[in-house]
Amino acid sequence: MQVVAAIKIVPDDQDIQVAADRSLDFSKARPVVSEYDLNALEAAVQLAAATGGSAIAVTAGAASIDDSKTKKNVLARGMEALYLTADDACADMDAYATAQVLAPMVEDLDGWDVVLVGDGSADLYAKQTGAQLAARLNVPYVAGAIALEEDGGSLKVRRKTEDEVEVLSVPLPAVVSVLPEAAAPRIPGMKDILAAGKKPMEAVALAEAPAAALEVVSCKAPVQAERAMEVYDATDDGAVEKFAAALKAAL
Amino acid sequence: MKALIIAENQDAAAEMGAAARGFADEVVALGIGTDLAGVADKSLKVSVPDDRIVEDAWATVCAIADAEQPARVLVEPTTRLSGVAGRLAAHMGAAVITDVLALGPDGATSLYFGGAGERTVAPVGDVALCTVSRGVFDGAGTSGTDAVEEVAFVDPANPVVRVAAEPLEKSDVNLAAADVVVGAGRGFAEEDQLGLARDLAAKIGAEMACTRPLAEGSGWMPTESYIGVSGQMLSPKVYVGIGTSGQMQHMVGVNRAGAIFAVNKDKNAPIFKQCDYGLVGDLNTVLPALSAAL
Repeated sequence: MQVVAAIKIVPDDQDIQVAADRSLDFSKARPVVSEYDLNALEAAVQLAAATGGSAIAVTAGAASIDDSKTKKNVLARGMEALYLTADDACADMDAYATAQVLAPMVEDLDGWDVVLVGDGSADLYAKQTGAQLAARLNVPYVAGAIALEEDGGSLKVRRKTEDEVEVLSVPLPAVVSVLPEAAAPRIPGMKDILAAGKKPMEAVALAEAPAAALEVVSCKAPVQAERAMEVYDATDDGAVEKFAAALKAAL
Repeated sequence: MKALIIAENQDAAAEMGAAARGFADEVVALGIGTDLAGVADKSLKVSVPDDRIVEDAWATVCAIADAEQPARVLVEPTTRLSGVAGRLAAHMGAAVITDVLALGPDGATSLYFGGAGERTVAPVGDVALCTVSRGVFDGAGTSGTDAVEEVAFVDPANPVVRVAAEPLEKSDVNLAAADVVVGAGRGFAEEDQLGLARDLAAKIGAEMACTRPLAEGSGWMPTESYIGVSGQMLSPKVYVGIGTSGQMQHMVGVNRAGAIFAVNKDKNAPIFKQCDYGLVGDLNTVLPALSAAL
């Protein structure tokens, strides 16, 4: 089975700074694979291995996502190739725009059976790209997958909703969104990282700038509630008692 | 202006119906697999056959939207309906604004980077589609018709077949209603240690909750009990975070708490900058001492 993982590269949220005017400063944040897309990469590799196929990754974003460390990190996780469109016309895309860029990248591949996406991206957590991509590709879409296996010409998916676990027979090709529990991300070894440098990395030029469906009106850090920040060291005499008294008083 | 509400649950429909009344002069409700009563001027229902999935109602839903021509679409953010909303948005040349916390004349506001920011966006086109989290709007006092019109489910091309389903075991946690919540984080290295947190919770009448890794990584706690951007968003009177470092993705779920208490062995844990009272120490010794002192 030819498995495609469609992933997002985002600024590392550990390094987002909040400026005095509450605007967000990303200048110190390096590009990383969005956390739950690591699970999609691993699920893709496992499904490809179980079916004697191969897994490749596709991604699109601003020019800054073309970062050698990040690209190697993707390829070191068992991907056979990475197709990447890095263009500032793809900065900060909504799901409608993302699908416009990703769909032709998938269609131009030399055959594909299923596209896996992660549960949600670190920036928007909108869980929308999979559905938008499925609409563009005119294929079924299923979210919440926790287990995937080939079943004849279709894909057997166990997926979790708010109230049940469903067993689905998904005709291929299809787009499937996987929950983190579908596959735990591997930790690439030094050998994997070195080998990643020799794998194909295809820069895909953007044919046409995507049309956005949403425009950003404002984006600010929330006003933080003032907190007392009274911190005791438990080894100090009476610290636990003081903490307990404050807790009792607050109840 | 006409609004369309799409829901799987009556309570969610009531909240969205109440919100829609604020800006729309006509409200249409669409229940997927459920009758929505008393929330809209017109109530439609699509019953999904047992061997089909809710997401594949998209073809039917797109046809309904084409007929109704709503300017605003509000959708309950369930796993299944998020997929329907996405396909409907694609059909309308739009993108869904998800998990909105506020709807205003300028646009809809959602969390950005797990709460690092609050971002307001507006549609470029004429139609706005939003998913609305539970509890953002007050559903009390909504009104509308009780007459429900059935719309036949239409298979899309290549439908997914639902072969079997088993209900998820409902845990009895009701965090949203809890006044006091104890949240366990990665500081708990062994499942057995959670007993220490449970003892404390019992002592102060708290519900137990956790961070995402304890629910989805280790599976020590039920999924419904994790707090954070993709989980529960709470505003209890008191929150006690134990072994939780204070990552943004978790804290955004409790930062509206009346008072925040924290126990962590790392004095540099970010939670100590976001709490009212903190206690630096090893939870193995601190928790029994704390339970005893209460």
